[in-house]
Amino acid sequence: MKTLYKLFLVLTMVAFASCKDLTDLNVNPNGVDPSTVNPNLLVTTVITQTAQPYLDMGYQGDLAGVMQYVQKSGWGSGLNNYEFISERSWAGPYNNLRNVKHLYERSVAEGMEFQQGLALVLRAFNFGFITDCWGDAPYSAALNAPDGGQGDIFPVFDSQENIYKGIIEELKMANTMLSKPADAYSGINADADIIYKGSPLKWRKMANSLMLRYYMRVSSKLTSYAKAGIEEIIANPDTYPIFESNDDDATMGYIGTYNGDSWPANTKNDYDATNTSFSRIQLCAGFRDVLLDLNDPRIAVWFNKAKVPIKVSTKYDPEADITVGGVRYLHPDSMVVKNYVVYNKDTWPAALKAGNTLVDTLDYAGIPIASNAGEPYTYNLNPAPVQGGYNVHISALADLYKNATGVLQRARLISYAEVCFILAEAAKNGWSVGSQQSWYENGVEASLETWGVGDSYGAYIANSGVAYDGTLEQIMVQKWIANWTVAVESWCDWRRTGLPSLTIGPRGRRDAMPLRFRYDATERERNKTNYNSAISKLVQTAFTAQDGNDSSWSKFWLLQ
Amino acid sequence: MLLLGIFALLAGNTYSQTKVSGVVKSNSGELLPGVNVLVKGTYTGVITDLNGKYIIAVPGTQSILVFSFIGFESQEIAVNGKSVIDVTMSESSIAIDEVVVTALGISREKKSLGYSVAEVKGEAIQKVAQENVLNSLAGKVAGVSINSTSGAGSSVSMVIRGASSLTSDNQPLFVVDGIPMINTLNNVQQMGSDNRADFGNAISDLNAEDIESISILKGPSAAALYGSRAGNGVVLITTKTGSKKKGLGITFTTNTVVENPYKYLEKHNLMANGNRPYTQDNRPNNGLDYIVIDPTVSGWVGPELDKGMLAYQWPYFNADGVLTATPLVSHPDNWKNFFETGYTTTNNIALADATEKVDYRLSFSNMLNKGVIPNSDLHKNSLSLSSTLRLNKNIKVSTSFNFITSGAVNRPAENRGANPVQALYETNPHIDILSLKDYWEKGKEGIQQNGPYQLKINPDGTYSSGGFMDNPYFLANEVNNGFKRDRIYGTAKLDWQINSELSFMARYNHDQFNEFRDTKIAQSYTQERKGFYGLTNLYRREQNADFLLAYNKRVGDFNLSASAGGNYLYRYASDNTTKAKDKGSGLIVPGIYSVSNIALSNIQYYSSLSQKAIYSVYALASLGYKDAVYLDLTARNDLSSTLPKENRSYFYPSASLSLLLNNMLEMGDKVSLAKLRGGIAMVGNDTDPYKLMPTMGDYGSWGNQTRLTTSGTLLLPDLKPEIQTSWEIGTDLAFFKNRLRFEGTYYSSKNENQILNIGLPPSSGSGAKQINAGLISSKGIELTIGGTPVRTNDLNWDVNFVYSRNRTRIEELSEGFNYIALWTDAKGGAVTWVGEEIGQIIDKKMLRVEDKSSPYYGWPIIDNEGWDNSDSKWQDADGKRVAPVIGNFNPDFTLGMQTSLSYKKWTLSASLDWRKGGQFVSQTLRYGESDLHTQRWIDRTVKVNGIADIPAYLKANADKYLSPDGEFFVVVGGPTQETGGLEYTEDGITLHDGVFMPGVVGNYDENGKFIAEYENLGGPGQPLIRYQDFYGWDYTRTATFDADYVKLREISITYQLPSLKSIGIQNASFSIYSRNLILWTKAGIGIDPEMAFQPESGKQGSGIQFKQGIERFNVSPWTIPVGFKLNISF
Repeated sequence: MKTLYKLFLVLTMVAFASCKDLTDLNVNPNGVDPSTVNPNLLVTTVITQTAQPYLDMGYQGDLAGVMQYVQKSGWGSGLNNYEFISERSWAGPYNNLRNVKHLYERSVAEGMEFQQGLALVLRAFNFGFITDCWGDAPYSAALNAPDGGQGDIFPVFDSQENIYKGIIEELKMANTMLSKPADAYSGINADADIIYKGSPLKWRKMANSLMLRYYMRVSSKLTSYAKAGIEEIIANPDTYPIFESNDDDATMGYIGTYNGDSWPANTKNDYDATNTSFSRIQLCAGFRDVLLDLNDPRIAVWFNKAKVPIKVSTKYDPEADITVGGVRYLHPDSMVVKNYVVYNKDTWPAALKAGNTLVDTLDYAGIPIASNAGEPYTYNLNPAPVQGGYNVHISALADLYKNATGVLQRARLISYAEVCFILAEAAKNGWSVGSQQSWYENGVEASLETWGVGDSYGAYIANSGVAYDGTLEQIMVQKWIANWTVAVESWCDWRRTGLPSLTIGPRGRRDAMPLRFRYDATERERNKTNYNSAISKLVQTAFTAQDGNDSSWSKFWLLQ
Repeated sequence: MLLLGIFALLAGNTYSQTKVSGVVKSNSGELLPGVNVLVKGTYTGVITDLNGKYIIAVPGTQSILVFSFIGFESQEIAVNGKSVIDVTMSESSIAIDEVVVTALGISREKKSLGYSVAEVKGEAIQKVAQENVLNSLAGKVAGVSINSTSGAGSSVSMVIRGASSLTSDNQPLFVVDGIPMINTLNNVQQMGSDNRADFGNAISDLNAEDIESISILKGPSAAALYGSRAGNGVVLITTKTGSKKKGLGITFTTNTVVENPYKYLEKHNLMANGNRPYTQDNRPNNGLDYIVIDPTVSGWVGPELDKGMLAYQWPYFNADGVLTATPLVSHPDNWKNFFETGYTTTNNIALADATEKVDYRLSFSNMLNKGVIPNSDLHKNSLSLSSTLRLNKNIKVSTSFNFITSGAVNRPAENRGANPVQALYETNPHIDILSLKDYWEKGKEGIQQNGPYQLKINPDGTYSSGGFMDNPYFLANEVNNGFKRDRIYGTAKLDWQINSELSFMARYNHDQFNEFRDTKIAQSYTQERKGFYGLTNLYRREQNADFLLAYNKRVGDFNLSASAGGNYLYRYASDNTTKAKDKGSGLIVPGIYSVSNIALSNIQYYSSLSQKAIYSVYALASLGYKDAVYLDLTARNDLSSTLPKENRSYFYPSASLSLLLNNMLEMGDKVSLAKLRGGIAMVGNDTDPYKLMPTMGDYGSWGNQTRLTTSGTLLLPDLKPEIQTSWEIGTDLAFFKNRLRFEGTYYSSKNENQILNIGLPPSSGSGAKQINAGLISSKGIELTIGGTPVRTNDLNWDVNFVYSRNRTRIEELSEGFNYIALWTDAKGGAVTWVGEEIGQIIDKKMLRVEDKSSPYYGWPIIDNEGWDNSDSKWQDADGKRVAPVIGNFNPDFTLGMQTSLSYKKWTLSASLDWRKGGQFVSQTLRYGESDLHTQRWIDRTVKVNGIADIPAYLKANADKYLSPDGEFFVVVGGPTQETGGLEYTEDGITLHDGVFMPGVVGNYDENGKFIAEYENLGGPGQPLIRYQDFYGWDYTRTATFDADYVKLREISITYQLPSLKSIGIQNASFSIYSRNLILWTKAGIGIDPEMAFQPESGKQGSGIQFKQGIERFNVSPWTIPVGFKLNISF
């Protein structure tokens, strides 16, 4: 027995001696330890995670439709018909904020103040987006899940008021943090900063410009707060430098090597050879009407004319409906027989309600919003009505948007033009920020320059409807046009001011434009108590219908 | 081995009196080595040598010798003064004294076991060739469910006693001759946009012809000694060796099965694709003489076919290139024409020999498979050598080496995207599939595929390139997911019989493979227009070293055996992938599949490696009393590298008891066996490597900038092992000399400290959190009833029924969490709340009038455009589920039947399966029917032709059409006048394709009370909707079906050829067989419910890459396989 015991012992020892250390074995060799990661490796991540979805929403997302820039010829009920019935995930911005938080914490640990400031600006921007769209939301208690408490896992919602105030304070912190000369910062990787190439001053200007945006956002609820805030910024340009030209615009370009780093719905890298993602995005009649009224040169930058325009004519009498030489001719008599009515920007909803079929005879033909329940692709007598297909009678996006990347294809977060219009509005409010007319005209000129048609500024500003007449409406219309691809901002402005005044069709899910996003379904299912408390503060409207408080037609604090 | 030692020793110690010798043979004349020869009433015994010879000293001339051997009837022969006794032993019909292989490879008499072990003999799985040996087990073992996730070569899932873990693949541990085999259910890879292929489980490398027997250790009791990985049961596979028979033996087997498709998915052939059934006179003006059938319209509600209507349709142009209208006709045989006859051929040759010192077996096998989908294949070559070398009387060295190469030129893509079956299903009924067979555009071979979706006729008669969908032949032939797997596994083992009571075993096992996958996609695939190339190298290695010291002692009526040992496990895995970016710039030069043909800016590469080790020590003891009572105790302690230091070591014991009542009480002749058994056991389970601390993930580079991201899943640094505790009780009964047999087991298991990811509210910053909580319980019943109703010299009939039923519930979760989602899809999901059953499928609620006092109680609430409304909330403010449960993907029970009827040299065997209950979601139908592809959907609408007062008719049938308990998603109308369509006008064109959903329109008042405005029952002026648009897309229920089926898994007729010894053939047989013949499905939609698995590139909440209980284009045709097998032994 003794030998056996020894044998057993020896074998056990041999076995374990040859063994590896179990703790070492479980150290993951495949990734960087988050506690030692170089902050610069997160900079590009948080910029792209912010800019890509923001552009996507503003260019081809639901809000681009609601604000009547574009409509979709298929699968666009959110854009076309206010189909805001479903919950909307906010996992995207919160996931991004998790990375922003880590960037901030790592930069603090490394003493890298530029990255701290950058993180604060993007944190404010993303929380701004969240509260702009959803209303009350977890802010002060958000992003703390790693701390593990029940209050960290299930964060309370902050009021919208406190979120806006909070992000303004964070932007002030960023302004201070970014106030040193560039060479006073350590560890800047200019290439990682794909917005400003590592310029602290530009990020500082962005922080202060965003402050203007959010002060103006709350101006109707907290008027004196907003007034004081904006006036302080304008009165102290050295302490609060803001955007001074288009060169300061916060925009991000695209790489264009594959779908993930390309302009959305392009036809170069997008998967479908048929360009359906591209041709599905079509001009909205509402935007078109305004651009044509103002004889705006930007329409030609953004849209192509309809490939086959429709004309009402007796030229080919007695043909009722004939396409000759790239033009489709409808005989006026047959129009009557078939209940076809030529689109008129003032009377089209009534014509639709009366059971008529609309015919848009303009070269820039666009789909009116909420004009069709299920089949937007049939609009304007599409001879080949296919869900999402190309419609020869509707204006498509300009060819430049087929590219995967390009100088005009930038994700715009905030622009000098927007700043000008904010200040024009502030001036109109009687706040001491300068002349409303010059801010208005600066804004118009800046936007025309942005889109490469700066030469036409002189003629354009003289157009009737463009020449400043001192109305808020004019400022907001020009801001709306300038915010092409920044539809989120236009939506915020419209909800706040009701401008531009937009005509909507009778076929929307509700007879009114939606006012907010419904809360994230996962949040509702997982964070029940706080969710219930948040929705109790929403005010229902006549359009809330069966949705309950958490409706896209309920009013949050800003609109109450 | 132990017995050998004991008897050798005992024999040596016995003083010589009278010696008896002899030769023991089987009734077929084979010499039998290893037969126990015991002097009755003593412990004196010997075993026969390799030539079947024995010599034994007997105490007196009146002694009785007992001859016993596994698989043979024991015999008692009185010595009566004889000195030579030759014995012929007959094979026992059913072995009550069956010996089964249990944990650590220890052979035990089945009757002594306190837990349920199922054994399947090699012959049973060799009768009918299956390309994956697991398929051969389907329906044969109680408590075991086997599911092919798709056709030949796909992963096969084996789950024993239901899922015990919510986050692992729940696959059992496979141990081949002591070698734990690397296997997983997660073999799906996506390479290129929407191109997912299942490369099949590595367990399919096993060669069925090499298998001697399979033991399935079902509960943790049985498996406790295999440790962490045994929580899902253990499948012990013993392969054939050369030791059975002395002298050289050669066996040749050839096996070919031909599969003929015979049943296809149903689709209508009434209309071409289009949005409305326009006619020549009644159509939108396109400026052309005829309507253009635009292939990009997905709905099949276009102009009617076979009615003489002309249209511009694929291929649009005549031989002179002129746009020409042709008659619209249907092509009902498209599916039949597309699929091919599949075949699998397997050839095996084995050579075995045994001498005094050495025995060996060498086997070579070759398998070739061609699938029913064009250009799908599978092939495998395996070579194995097992040998035993007896160094001396007490020391034996055994080794085995196995080399397997397997692979495929193309594993067809599954799910949607590059799946040729999807493209086939979407090929419009007016297109002749055979016209697509030349899938390259003329003059653009290798560059541009051809087909209706590749050409778009503009309203002005010009055409442009399309590319909306793919040609199914193009996908089948030009999207190639190939793989090559080279595998080596083997073992070296030393057995040392130290003395009569002690033995020692030491062993080293090794299993490794390299799998090389490459995906080649030709230019013009709609989702990778410029082609694609990607390759992946997987390397897996598992090494195990173990030893076992065993002690065996018989004292009086007690028999004790005790063992102790240890195991060292080390696993290494590495993955390397180099590929073009999905939807990127493709390949530089078309058709060159090389990494250097991918532009630098378009290359992506990843690599990862992982390591894991587990150190274990264990001990077991078994105490038997008088062949009547057996008590087993086991204990094991593991140390796993995947757990934190403080929780790394975990201990788990088991105990089981077997009572043989027939040996304790006098029960008469009729009772052959009456056994009660029971066991209780724990098994601990660790997790995957690197689950304790997060690392930064790669977010993909942005130009030259690296992007890292923090993990969205919070990990638990102080993770504890999962602990599964289970108990089982059962009985084994046999009557009338085993001609009636019964085995029944009830089991219950609880799995605590589940390591699972639980969803967090996004605002917490993390999407999920790993928790170590919860309690999952499973309960089930397993019954086996077998009988031999007829047994004569010429005729023998055996029949066996196997019944299994399992329920798994979530008993507890973590604070604040009410449910677990295994997957969500098709608007619903497999979501289980605390207290509910795993596998349940939930849906959205259709909004109906809930006010019981309303005359419209239960009616669907319709909006003023005519659409229904749904509520997408899963649970109410209190966390109670409000989403309706519409089914469960698990069956109520399954019943298998195996029968075998032999008459002289003929044997007929069959294996039949019945699945009762359970549901599955068919996304094939969901997609297909939302585009109105089926006659079924046309048939299910309510036809009101000739009914004058439609509202009155619907109200009279309110129970059926307006009640939550009636038909779900009622649509009145149809696509055409004959099929019940209502007159409907749009854009000035009037056709009979209007439909509506009966219900009530109204509003809610401020108290949330529904106020009806009007009834939407098809009254005058009420909105109609085009048939094309009204499908219940928002509800999972619309495409949920009962999963009940009856399958003829296997049927075979074997003929034992007459003796051919004159030409050296010892034994020959020939059989004809068929397999997997679906006889009946309750759903009746031409889909095999068993294949309700939707492969995904990422792991689902259930820890597997499959969504179970849902399928998407996993709809290969049903086939009638016909197989031939010839088996010859020399």
